[in-house]
Amino acid sequence: MKPPKFEFFRATSVQDAVAALNEFGDGARILAGGHSLVPMMNLRLARPTHLIDITRIPGLDQVEERSDGVVIGAAARHCDVEHSEIANRVCPLLPEALKLVAHETIRNRGTVCGNLAHADPRSELPAVALALDAVFTIAGVSGERQVPASEFFLGPFMTAVGPAEMLVSVKFPAIAKSAGYAIAEFARTHGNYALAGAASLIETDASGAVTRATVSLFGLSSRPLRATKAEKTLLGKIATAEIVEQAATAALEGVECSEDMHGSADYRAKIGRVYAARVINSAIARANAGENK
Amino acid sequence: MSMQGMKKLQWIGRSIPKVEDRKFLMGQGGYVDDIDLPNLLHVAVVRSPLPHARIVSIDASRALELDGVVAVITGKQAAELCDFMPDFNPEPNLHKWRVLADEKVRFVGEGVAVVVARSRYIAEDGRDLVDVEYDPLPVVPNARAALKPGAALLHEGMESNVALDSTLAFGDVDGEFRNADIVVRETIRWGRTSGQPLETVGAVANFNSATGMLTINSNSVSLTNFVFLIAGSLKVPSNKLDLIPMPCGGSFGAKFWAPRVAVTAGMCAKFLGRPVKYVEDRLDHALSCDHHGSEREYEIELAMTKEGEFRAIRFDVIDDYGAYFQFGLGTHGNAMSQVIGPYNMKAVSYRAQGVLSNKCQQGAYRGFGSEVHNFAIERIVDKTVREHGFDPIELRRRNFIQPSQFPFKIPGGNIYDSGNYDGVLDEALGMAKLEHWRAEQKKGRAEGRYIGIGLTTCQERSVYSANEWWFFRRSPEMGVSSVPESISISVDAVGAVSATLYSTAFWGNSPETMVAQVLGEELGVNPGDVSISYAGTAKGLPASGPGGSRFTVMITGAVVGAAAKIRAKALKVAAHMMEISESDLEFVNGGVQVKGDKGKRLSLAEIAVMPRLFKHQLPADIDSGFEADMVFDHPYTTLPTADRSDLGIYYPMMAHAAHIAVVEVDVQTGAVKFLDYVAVHDCGTVVNPRSLDGHVIGGLAQGVGQTLLEEYVYDEEGQIMSSSLVDYLLPSAMEVPEVRLGHHETPSPFTHYGMKGGGEGGRMHAPAAIASAVDDALSPLGATRATYLPLTPERVLSLIPMQ
Amino acid sequence: MSGSEKHNITLVVNGEKQMVNVESRALLHDVLRRDLGLVGVHAGCEHGVCGACTIHIDGKSARACLTLAVQIDGSKVDTVEGLADGTKLHPIQEAFWRCNGLQCGFCTPGMLMRVSEFLEINPNPTRDEAREAIASNICRCTGYQHIVDSVMEAAGRLRGEEWSATAGIPATELRDTVKETL
Repeated sequence: MKPPKFEFFRATSVQDAVAALNEFGDGARILAGGHSLVPMMNLRLARPTHLIDITRIPGLDQVEERSDGVVIGAAARHCDVEHSEIANRVCPLLPEALKLVAHETIRNRGTVCGNLAHADPRSELPAVALALDAVFTIAGVSGERQVPASEFFLGPFMTAVGPAEMLVSVKFPAIAKSAGYAIAEFARTHGNYALAGAASLIETDASGAVTRATVSLFGLSSRPLRATKAEKTLLGKIATAEIVEQAATAALEGVECSEDMHGSADYRAKIGRVYAARVINSAIARANAGENK
Repeated sequence: MSMQGMKKLQWIGRSIPKVEDRKFLMGQGGYVDDIDLPNLLHVAVVRSPLPHARIVSIDASRALELDGVVAVITGKQAAELCDFMPDFNPEPNLHKWRVLADEKVRFVGEGVAVVVARSRYIAEDGRDLVDVEYDPLPVVPNARAALKPGAALLHEGMESNVALDSTLAFGDVDGEFRNADIVVRETIRWGRTSGQPLETVGAVANFNSATGMLTINSNSVSLTNFVFLIAGSLKVPSNKLDLIPMPCGGSFGAKFWAPRVAVTAGMCAKFLGRPVKYVEDRLDHALSCDHHGSEREYEIELAMTKEGEFRAIRFDVIDDYGAYFQFGLGTHGNAMSQVIGPYNMKAVSYRAQGVLSNKCQQGAYRGFGSEVHNFAIERIVDKTVREHGFDPIELRRRNFIQPSQFPFKIPGGNIYDSGNYDGVLDEALGMAKLEHWRAEQKKGRAEGRYIGIGLTTCQERSVYSANEWWFFRRSPEMGVSSVPESISISVDAVGAVSATLYSTAFWGNSPETMVAQVLGEELGVNPGDVSISYAGTAKGLPASGPGGSRFTVMITGAVVGAAAKIRAKALKVAAHMMEISESDLEFVNGGVQVKGDKGKRLSLAEIAVMPRLFKHQLPADIDSGFEADMVFDHPYTTLPTADRSDLGIYYPMMAHAAHIAVVEVDVQTGAVKFLDYVAVHDCGTVVNPRSLDGHVIGGLAQGVGQTLLEEYVYDEEGQIMSSSLVDYLLPSAMEVPEVRLGHHETPSPFTHYGMKGGGEGGRMHAPAAIASAVDDALSPLGATRATYLPLTPERVLSLIPMQ
Repeated sequence: MSGSEKHNITLVVNGEKQMVNVESRALLHDVLRRDLGLVGVHAGCEHGVCGACTIHIDGKSARACLTLAVQIDGSKVDTVEGLADGTKLHPIQEAFWRCNGLQCGFCTPGMLMRVSEFLEINPNPTRDEAREAIASNICRCTGYQHIVDSVMEAAGRLRGEEWSATAGIPATELRDTVKETL
């Protein structure tokens, strides 16, 4: 399975890359790790005319600390973020999620931003971005713009990145030291895509009542989702087993689940509920234990 | 007469590290895709996106304009260049197949044309530019659809999509069922999978127009007596085709007889007069490998006394063979070899319907149909336990064929050579820590965790004869019966030993190590000193190659025979050299010495040099040279009767195993996790125990895949959902249990050293053990039993009644 | 500006500088196999799942089938051919040999490259860690157990220990059995 022909262009700056996207038109794609794009090209499901490589743009592989979070540059590899002292300290849900992304070998080359921009509905990182209200910086010919995660994921393999635009970086907000977080997924084989998964960030007060809750789902629908109904169910309450069950059920309300040979829509909804509950429980336990020190 | 029984074994039974490993470890395996030649051309196959359609037209003009594309051969042209593909099905006229579809396509992925180009990249570019017009036909997506009255016909010459509906019955089946105290009924379903070796099928073909010789390097060279059929397909004289065996990066049946790839490359090479390489990519292989495994639905009935003595069993099987029928009902013939399992039943009836549908055709996959049969028997035995309160261990023991009863003739006629089923079970139980797991199970249930223990005791037939391919059909009365194995052994003038193998003997099954160890035993040489090479079919000696767990037994027979000739000559020459009568000499420790006097001795080197270089200094009746060939036939085959009241003996080397699986089922998701796994295999005398263990575990892993993960899913429109490895789920190291292995050796009375085959076993046993364990785990929940494979997590959940 | 369909690239492969002219679309495993004769790099699926093509790029394991050669111009590539020291097997290779860690050998080069990375990161793994480490590489033959044995054995050897008596056959017996000049 060999890819079709294309022209390869090595961008030296973001402006350079964006100009190239503009010049080469519809058939141009950004190439970072290539581990989402190249398999599709080998299968000839993707046929870009031009690939614009951004992996050697100086500084684009940054994993930088900000006052309110960590910024991941478009060329930063999964493994760099996974092992980054900054990411582990400032936003530990992200490295934890990364351990679920495929295998180490893939993570050595694939990029966080590339994964996010690819927007596979089964991927873990988009759900983390949603759960943490990450902010995406997109560059076009007319400059840069910020897009919140809630507006970034539009559909299967569809994002807010426009035709002549590229994702430059993503900022993941810092996770409070007292917050609890968790991510878990159900995949049929190790490292494989999830049939359903959930990520959650929960903060509780001294009494154990939930002061902040985000819950996101992935794998089970056409794009990652924030389970706002689940969040409302949890807010202000001490999360008993019953409340968590209610929240998990609410998480799936109105969600149109996808189906394929690995699971029907009904089944995905079932395990979506199971994993929402498991993840909420884990996050709460961590929040209450003050685990995130 | 072999060396066995004459002294303590020196090499057989030792886990020496394998002699072939080094080249593979260093990345010098010499696989077929490693071949590169000047001017080599590459092939990409244009494949049908539709499951059933007439081919209206193929326009290759745009492809031919592409720089680097050398030719496009359509199915119509291929039908002139090549004859039909070979069939082992005795009545192939109704459902013939070709290297490329010519008039209609019958499955998604069937090849309709090939693009030949300077590189695979360009060939695929050319493929994008081939325009094929199809006229869709009504789809026959599976066997059920194929059987409906009025279903579209896959092959117009046939009356229906049933290629063969045949029943064999032995003993008084009806009488036994009439008189039975208990009759248990069961239905099971076994999903479609295949070997999916990591290396696909490939070939490099070269046609010499001066000599007319078509040479094809191929990783599928077996049944070489039948290679004339491939020559026939290629329209070359049978003695002008040389298939040269290359090491296989795995087979599990997928390279057992896979001529399509060689014929594709050969056809192109002959047509273009240039060397051509065709190596399947993963999609080519999944879609069109011609070796999908069984896909069956069974109705089974088991008749027994109220004490639990099994009397008779009925099988009614529908098998979805896909679009063609190359081995006929061979995979059911295979099942007949162990049709009653390890249990002493008196009567059997077996109805098999081979149904055709719009899918890739079936071929061989580890077990060749018996693995499904084991699952069927063990599921109904478990159902018997569940419905009638028998103890699962005692029920099996009660029915085991006893050691004193071997050789045991089963209903149908095959013989089980030897066995000790209680011994194997005892060992498995001894290792299994059942008390511990029962306690864990009890504790778990109180905590809402569901642990289950499953037991299976199954046969593992080995060393097939060809009869199984054709006896389900009653006419013609007789079919082919030769499946020999050959070796050539040579000792050169300085005493170095070489051996030549004549097939793609290497599937990962360490044939060189087997040969080296047996030669070590037979000629007293160090296995590390033996040099082994492979020769193509033009070199003449017939070889059947691996498959049906036969290779070690068969090549041992060949080695023993050839070594005996070498030793006989050595004694003769030595007698002359030492001026001592042959009767006072013995061959021992790699040389000839005076009986009881180590001091008077000649080494093999000292002896070999004589007929090699000094023939005329020897008596006239000693020929030049110091080598021997041996063509070894199946050690124990008898033919079926014309009326099929007796199928003859065709698979008598009967290995056996007991597996005990401990699983935990996540009742929220349906996921199945392994907590423990014990497997005790009895494959007779084992040449290299560590190597055999590797095959047991590897086969077991494929059994796990079969049971929980793998499936070729064709939907109701005949579209295949799982053609890439993203969806066809091969087990990784995390999905396969750590296996605790036990060993038992009940030698065969019919083979050299008492060996039996053991390569298929793991896959033939694991599915029943796992399903049984899942049942045990879910039994407190009133779950339906696990009889439909694969047990996807969703399917497992569906077994549990809604709370 | 323009892109290009053919490129001159330089790779340092198994320590040796190599210059190759490649198409943009040339996959790394094809460049290594075809242009550089490194046939130890295998292609099993060409969509990144099986791991047979695993090599090292700049010291880290990577899938050659998902890497465009042109992208890694200037990088260091290590393949299985670089493991042995002339004819002397690398300890990881020898461990696989002793422990029956291969049958057909097709997954083996990729497996060895993954294991060599893993043991550098985790020189003293548990069996469970070793098993999880190889989850990225499919083996269809072995069922993985003897590979896990091989990894544990290699780890011990790399830590300076003697070959263990449980590595398939007794270590003392090995000298008397198959000649190491194989």
